Amino acid sequence: MITSVALAAMFSGAWLAETYREHESRAMLLPDQVITLFPDPKPLTAFALTDDRNQVFDLASLKGKWSFLFFGFTHCPDVCPTTLAVLARARDSIAKNMAGAEDIQFVFVSVDPNRDTTSKLRQYVDYFDTSFLGVTGDKAQISNLAGQLGAAYQVAFTPGMENYPVYHTTAVFLLDPRARYHAVFTPPHDAEAISRRFKVVRELEAGNAT
Amino acid sequence: MRWRHPVFVCLLLALTAIAAATEEAGVSIRDAWVREAPPGATMMAGYMVLKNNTPRSQVLVAARSSGFGTVMIHRTVVKGGLTGMEHAPKIELLPNASLLFEPGGYHLMLLNPKRALHAGDRVDIKLEFLGGLVIPVAYEVRK
Repeated sequence: MITSVALAAMFSGAWLAETYREHESRAMLLPDQVITLFPDPKPLTAFALTDDRNQVFDLASLKGKWSFLFFGFTHCPDVCPTTLAVLARARDSIAKNMAGAEDIQFVFVSVDPNRDTTSKLRQYVDYFDTSFLGVTGDKAQISNLAGQLGAAYQVAFTPGMENYPVYHTTAVFLLDPRARYHAVFTPPHDAEAISRRFKVVRELEAGNAT
Repeated sequence: MRWRHPVFVCLLLALTAIAAATEEAGVSIRDAWVREAPPGATMMAGYMVLKNNTPRSQVLVAARSSGFGTVMIHRTVVKGGLTGMEHAPKIELLPNASLLFEPGGYHLMLLNPKRALHAGDRVDIKLEFLGGLVIPVAYEVRK
């Protein structure tokens, strides 16, 4: 089942890329298992979080770069490490196969600031890729950014309980260098598929800009 | 002294051996591994492939290890677009069927490792089944 989904995703990816070459941006409207592109990307509005170097992470931090955002928490033994490992491989692939990785950033947003301090986050994301950024902040600001992306989560915080559950979307959000919500990668995630789709997205956007 | 007859003794030994082998092979486990945790992380996950070699259902009810504060059988579930974990109090392995513990699905939730675990280390966990079958499994820590 999972294999067939992955295979379908791979084939649709090749198809997307081929069609794109032939028909320009019409490819953007084709359905895809891996990525949903928005024809009219929505600009984000102000938010203020803190990164794992204790620097402000806000709207300006998104400008000039493609940003891959994933929402999660470090007390997450299964889905978060699995996804971050996939994203680390996707970044490697992007860095190897394309114009480079200088204008991309991967951001892990913890929705669990109660347990995830910025120093803990730094240790955590560095393990997967030292270029990854861990970000968190106060609850209202996390909710602000997540809300703008439609990123659902729920922290079932229980005082005195060490292992309260956290539920979160496992989608990966792609923001463009103008800080607009450009596309979303839907699970199950595959590093090569993400890398290939991103190549197409970046080329399309470069074409639009000129 | 008929019971000392060599053929009889051989038969008895053979039957005992067959019984032991059957008991051991009731459920077999392969590809048992634990994901190495990032530094500071207190929760880990264990994965494996279980195979029920018997013609009747086997029910996994618990997992225990002295290497962790708590071991629980969990499943990653998606509800209304939200992904979370839920406790699986028992899991039925159908007759002669295999069951996967894999990323994004069933996993052993391993909380508070007693020592830092690194890729290449070994972790011992006992799997307990309804009816008293206990299977010790060695998990390899992998990146």
